[in-house]
Amino acid sequence: MKAVVTSIVVAIILVLIFSLPALAQESGTITITMTGVNEISISLDKTQWPLGNVASNTEYETSPPIEWCTLTVEGNCNVNTFIVGEDATWVDDPGAYKWTLSSDGTNGDHIYGLWFRISGDNTRGPHSDGYVPITKTQDEFWPYSGGSGSSLAPGGTKQFGLKLLTPNYFVGSRQMQTQITISAVAA
Amino acid sequence: MVGHIKLAGLIAALLVIFLPSFILAQDVSFSVSPAVVKIDNLPPGEAAEFELTIHNKDEAAHNFTIAAFQPPEEERGEGRAEFPDDSWLSFSSQEIEVAANSEANVTATVAIPREQKWAGEDWEVWLGVAAESSDLLAVRLYARLLVSTNHAMESTSNAGLVTGIVVGIILLGCGGYYYFRRRVKPE
Repeated sequence: MKAVVTSIVVAIILVLIFSLPALAQESGTITITMTGVNEISISLDKTQWPLGNVASNTEYETSPPIEWCTLTVEGNCNVNTFIVGEDATWVDDPGAYKWTLSSDGTNGDHIYGLWFRISGDNTRGPHSDGYVPITKTQDEFWPYSGGSGSSLAPGGTKQFGLKLLTPNYFVGSRQMQTQITISAVAA
Repeated sequence: MVGHIKLAGLIAALLVIFLPSFILAQDVSFSVSPAVVKIDNLPPGEAAEFELTIHNKDEAAHNFTIAAFQPPEEERGEGRAEFPDDSWLSFSSQEIEVAANSEANVTATVAIPREQKWAGEDWEVWLGVAAESSDLLAVRLYARLLVSTNHAMESTSNAGLVTGIVVGIILLGCGGYYYFRRRVKPE
């Protein structure tokens, strides 16, 4: 009888030894950390550029050229910012006609270019004149690789302007629209 | 013929680009929190949930869209790999209307498939929130989501439990065998 009791006790102990860590692992803690109360936010003081009628193969700049819009960091964390463009579509029938946004700021038939320039940035871009093409791939706005600038702190601002290069040829008398998205992520 | 059409296009070359508006409106003012979400020890086969808060600081209600974005390698944190599959992320709503000067929460769920190859990984993906707008300039805010999976899978812990039970049964069997053998022994 003693042997039975002993073996049952030993068995229970062994089961507990093997299974408790296992059970403990099953209920292991998944840690979700929300970094403080960090809030991300940026604002732009202008969002529209009413150009009116435009001619083919012509450059248009915002006025003032490089201090047209001000980006302000409104949240409470430092941010890195990015910019991306898209094709311009015919307002009346977006699926029927578009201008393709070029990948290098140049133009072509039904292909247009968009550029941005940040105030105080005179050497950036392919022509080292401060103008950088806006493409359909999200690229750095500020800071940027190879630049000496750092992330924008809360309250920090950046002024910038835009340049449009219209297509060499396009179908006239059509109202076109496009969108440029400026995005931000915590640095 | 094509030349004539081009010429006609060039002569006509008058077109309105970008929705004409003489109001230099400010963009939709909003914020997203938290800016960074860190999930640690998430075992493959399990899911974790957290909430993103969208604060509409505008005087009008707006629709916001939420979507995952794969950041380029140079923008990811050190040691963080690309999040393998956006379908592992889901949102309680991918589009939400937020009333003027109000907040709304979106529940995000990260569910990792139960496969050993996803154990012990460190990933990064961004969750982009944008306000629907037809303006030329728009803002998108990203929350960084950092996900680290557990090194051990759930199945490993089950193996420990099974081993413990098997050892217990064997010991009980042995105990029972010796007990009955002693009982049937003639005095």
